Amino acid sequence: MKTSGSGNLPATANKREKEKSLKHMARDNSDYVILLVVALFLLTVPIWADYVSTFIMDAMIEAGIFAIVVIGLNVLFGYAGQISLGNAAFVGIGAYTTALLCTRITGFPTWFALILGGLLAGLIGLVIGIPVLRLKGHYLALATLAFGLIFTELLKTQNSVSNQSNGGIGGIPNFSVFGLTLKSKIMSSTGYYLLIWIIALLVVLFTINLIRSRVGRGLRALHSSEIAADTMGVNTKNYKVKVFVISAVLAGLCGGLWALSSGRIEASMFDLRYSILFVTMVVIGGMGNIWGGMMGAIALTFITKILELQIPQWIPTRPSWLADPGNIAVVLYGLLLILFMLFLPKGITFGLSRLGTISRRGGSRVKDRLRAIRYRGG
Amino acid sequence: MADDIILEVDNITKMFGGLAALKDVEFSVPRGEIKAVIGPNGAGKTTLFDVLTGVQRSTSGRVFLKGIDITRTKPHRITELGMARTFQTVKLFESMTALENAMVGCHSWTKRGFISNGLLLWAFAEEHRIYQHAFEVLKDVGLGTRAAELGTNLPYGQMRMLEMARALASKPEILLLDEPAAGLNPYETGELSSLLLKVRESGVTILIVEHDMGLVMDISDEVVVLDYGEVIARGTPAEVQNDPRVIEAYLGIEA
Repeated sequence: MKTSGSGNLPATANKREKEKSLKHMARDNSDYVILLVVALFLLTVPIWADYVSTFIMDAMIEAGIFAIVVIGLNVLFGYAGQISLGNAAFVGIGAYTTALLCTRITGFPTWFALILGGLLAGLIGLVIGIPVLRLKGHYLALATLAFGLIFTELLKTQNSVSNQSNGGIGGIPNFSVFGLTLKSKIMSSTGYYLLIWIIALLVVLFTINLIRSRVGRGLRALHSSEIAADTMGVNTKNYKVKVFVISAVLAGLCGGLWALSSGRIEASMFDLRYSILFVTMVVIGGMGNIWGGMMGAIALTFITKILELQIPQWIPTRPSWLADPGNIAVVLYGLLLILFMLFLPKGITFGLSRLGTISRRGGSRVKDRLRAIRYRGG
Repeated sequence: MADDIILEVDNITKMFGGLAALKDVEFSVPRGEIKAVIGPNGAGKTTLFDVLTGVQRSTSGRVFLKGIDITRTKPHRITELGMARTFQTVKLFESMTALENAMVGCHSWTKRGFISNGLLLWAFAEEHRIYQHAFEVLKDVGLGTRAAELGTNLPYGQMRMLEMARALASKPEILLLDEPAAGLNPYETGELSSLLLKVRESGVTILIVEHDMGLVMDISDEVVVLDYGEVIARGTPAEVQNDPRVIEAYLGIEA
């Protein structure tokens, strides 16, 4: 533009622009992965079509419960960069608090037990978080992992909690508020579906607000460089603990809802397998993507449920280590983690959003522009 | 007179094991000046900045900012008190636009927390102020048109400018610049020096570590020379340039 003297300059510039975008396309493999995911989805329709309605309803209830904890973990892990392999323990704290209050004290309001479960999980998150968050990376992962293991071990060995060897508590009453009681989930129930998804969507709203604010920028900044964030005035220690507590509260809330909707809990519902499931959901949905937690929870819940139903029919005679469909799920989580890290590290949400701009390459630039001016008040 | 001293460095020593990175370093920065710290590679300049901003703790000695002892103060508190810095190796926040980078700089003078922002209680006005201020600062350093681009996608010279904008967004009274001209071409260095003079005019004191002697001699009021962690000379740029010990430190002993 500066040298408008020679007529063919704009043309060369245009060509260079084209070359650049071509190069970009050649290097970008995520489109193929999206295609693969979409193909897998469409090709498996005949398999799960039989279970539609009750199956989808049940799966969506479970996905909604998981979404609440996974969204919290995404803020902690995806935005602030602090990994936790112990979030299933916070889910457990919420679940046991709710279950014990509702079964031991007759007439204890379930909604209040739910809130108390979230708060207690948050309080324990605070106590654990202050020392543990001084650690970084693998050390933090190991410390939170240890916390999770200790929690399930305690539940299994301390029979005083439940009077059952597997830490089981049954007969948890259904959720009720203002005299309105929800029907149990044993057959799919619209009531729980609505309750859980309304809470999940409110949690999404909260995180959107948070991430777009100065706090969200502070969290992303400390993810990128703690020293730089600190010298820019972000109280990184304080932020890390607070975001850890928020993820614990959401996990506790998720646990309470799980206990109330399923009517029965036991220690194995909160073991390491679930902590890893939650991290896998974050990665698959999209680390540091606002919709990532929700998308990951839905996607992986459906995949797991379908596999658990189908595997016995596909492979009737299996080696002993695959006898339990749950074990297959664990293998699958590992495989998915590796595949996503390699080919789609930003997760399916990013992949899907890219589908929209596939035909017009200029789109991402326009989106960058918008991103800068979309701030409140801007 | 003491009122005019914004930053006072009092006998700072920093040991790494048996090695003294800084030995009894002592100087003060008068308000409104541009003060330069120079010295050969490994003289301890960056360590000095780390100690001043609380990133590293000194072994002994004290630092006073506006008369307040900040020797043991946390980095984010120091920024709130009015001292901001840039880094020798650019430390921009990844996957954030230039504007967002500058907005992080506004952290020190804003206060709405997790709950307030999450529930949108009393958060709008502050967010608007942050946006406006960050954009103003970006325009001041000449990056107004690049606001929407990812900070790490900018050309190197502009990344340095963005880091400076981020520091300026914290409304500092004193700005610490760690080799701002490193990697800049002569034209960009020229722009930098006029920007620094403009910043000083707006009332911000500047402490600068720099290898580009041309820039240092052009803009600084006073120079401190470090070698092996010790202050070997101080004075006006002209005085320092002719000091035999400085020449020795940079060029070796004359045969």
